[in-house]
Amino acid sequence: MNRDTVVARKEPAQPPSAFHYFLREALRRMWISKRTSFVAVAMIAISLLILGAFLLLSENLQRAITRWQGTSRVNIYMEPEATAAQIEGVRSYLGSSPSLAHYTFITRAAALQRFKSYFTNLDEVVGQLDENPFPASFECQVTPRAIQSATFERDIGAIRRTPGVEQVQFDWEWVNRLKRLVNIVNAVGFIAGGILAIAAAFTIANVIRLTMLLYREEIEIMRLVGATEQIIRGPFLIEGLIQGTIGGAAAVGLLYLFFELSRRLLAPSNAMLWSFLFVGFLPWPKIAGLVAGGTAAGYFGSWLSVREQRNESGRP
Amino acid sequence: MIHFYHVTKKFDRYSSALLDVTFHIEKGEFVFLTGPSGAGKSTLLKMILRQMTPSDGQIVVNGRNLAAMRRSQLPFFRREIGMVFQDFKLIERMTVFDNLSFILTVLGVAPREHKKKAYTALRAVNLHHRMNAFPLQLSGGEQQRVAIARALINDPLVLIADEPTGNLDPELSLEIVQIFAEANLRGSTLLLATHDRELIRSSGRRVLTLEKGHLLDEHAAPAEPHAARGGGGFVNWS
Repeated sequence: MNRDTVVARKEPAQPPSAFHYFLREALRRMWISKRTSFVAVAMIAISLLILGAFLLLSENLQRAITRWQGTSRVNIYMEPEATAAQIEGVRSYLGSSPSLAHYTFITRAAALQRFKSYFTNLDEVVGQLDENPFPASFECQVTPRAIQSATFERDIGAIRRTPGVEQVQFDWEWVNRLKRLVNIVNAVGFIAGGILAIAAAFTIANVIRLTMLLYREEIEIMRLVGATEQIIRGPFLIEGLIQGTIGGAAAVGLLYLFFELSRRLLAPSNAMLWSFLFVGFLPWPKIAGLVAGGTAAGYFGSWLSVREQRNESGRP
Repeated sequence: MIHFYHVTKKFDRYSSALLDVTFHIEKGEFVFLTGPSGAGKSTLLKMILRQMTPSDGQIVVNGRNLAAMRRSQLPFFRREIGMVFQDFKLIERMTVFDNLSFILTVLGVAPREHKKKAYTALRAVNLHHRMNAFPLQLSGGEQQRVAIARALINDPLVLIADEPTGNLDPELSLEIVQIFAEANLRGSTLLLATHDRELIRSSGRRVLTLEKGHLLDEHAAPAEPHAARGGGGFVNWS
């Protein structure tokens, strides 16, 4: 083609070496503005650390729920003066109910014996009592599937009304309460983490805005020599992306560090209280999600700045 | 190649830079633009690059009506034009090589070719030995030549220069105009704004004279007796 032929040709959006240039420029600019870049990364890291802490708490609570769900139990406590016929009536009802058919009957003597074996230091106290204070009971193993069945609620209600039954204790209710707690933890985590992540994105936006001001003259030269907006904006977008990703990765790293330290320092002394909170760290998809969240926040922040800059450069 | 049709540029009701300017520069021409300070030379050059838009009139450069051009097309249009700015507009934090390499990145030239092309462009302005220097380490004349190398690196269809010989001694001015003349020989259309009447007189080229925004006259400067015309209107300055 003649070099001065004028045709409305389709130009490539970005030259082939553009990405290499974007990356090199973004890293160079970050290095030059180390302090401001550090602030942006720290903001993202803190936001995601808070979100991650809530996620970790909810994850471990969820694990505990799953474990407890798998071993759910219904305890039917008989009145101390329940007659053999009344006990037999309950036994026969349980035998006919598909969801409560797997049960163990604990006599009053067996209950006392169990207590003594669990709390050996209270042995003497129990020995001073005039009579055995423990009632006979039925311990029914129920599966989560059985709990979901339509007949379960009806069965529990019927047993509660059976003569000789003093109390029906069902830990599923407690599990449900725990589930609600998990939902609250998740919601608080997402709201707090989300607000902080948005704040972090705006911090990144300000950092990029400052960098753009610093390079205002250079950007003007780039425009005059024919650089497209993509080439001008590319390094800034990549800068935000890198800052966000580093922030996300730092958040995961710090969270793991705190998790391990807490597990080692707190768990041994209060194993019963804390152990269920330290079952395990976040699963890989959630770790990837946290890092991706940082990347997205960083990209969003830098996108906000370059969008603003593009609008300001509306003149030819 | 460059066509101005009744172009007026007003900044406000009372001040205007150009008033009803009409001229045509054909492909392969080498034209000087002159006039006193504030005559509107820089404004005219900025309008060719569409740094500014006219208040009235039409500008057609390389077959493109600048008023009708979409903003997205502007970078690609500017790549066809080499501009030597009065203040050089070199990126100070970049070395001479990086200043040129950056343009090649913008143009989509593969990185492995950058060194060769930059070297060729810098050799043409006799600065190939300063590739790793930063602009602030160079003299005014050297910076000017880097700016010229940058404008020439892409063999532009149109080359415009705003006072490229300002603040240079006469010998260096001739050297720089020689570089432009060589670019003109390779096919670039040139528009060179200058105050230097001596330089214009000795060239024998067409001259556009601006004064207070008006295009006063358009004539070919009488060639100096010693200036021999080369092929394609090239003046041998040596």
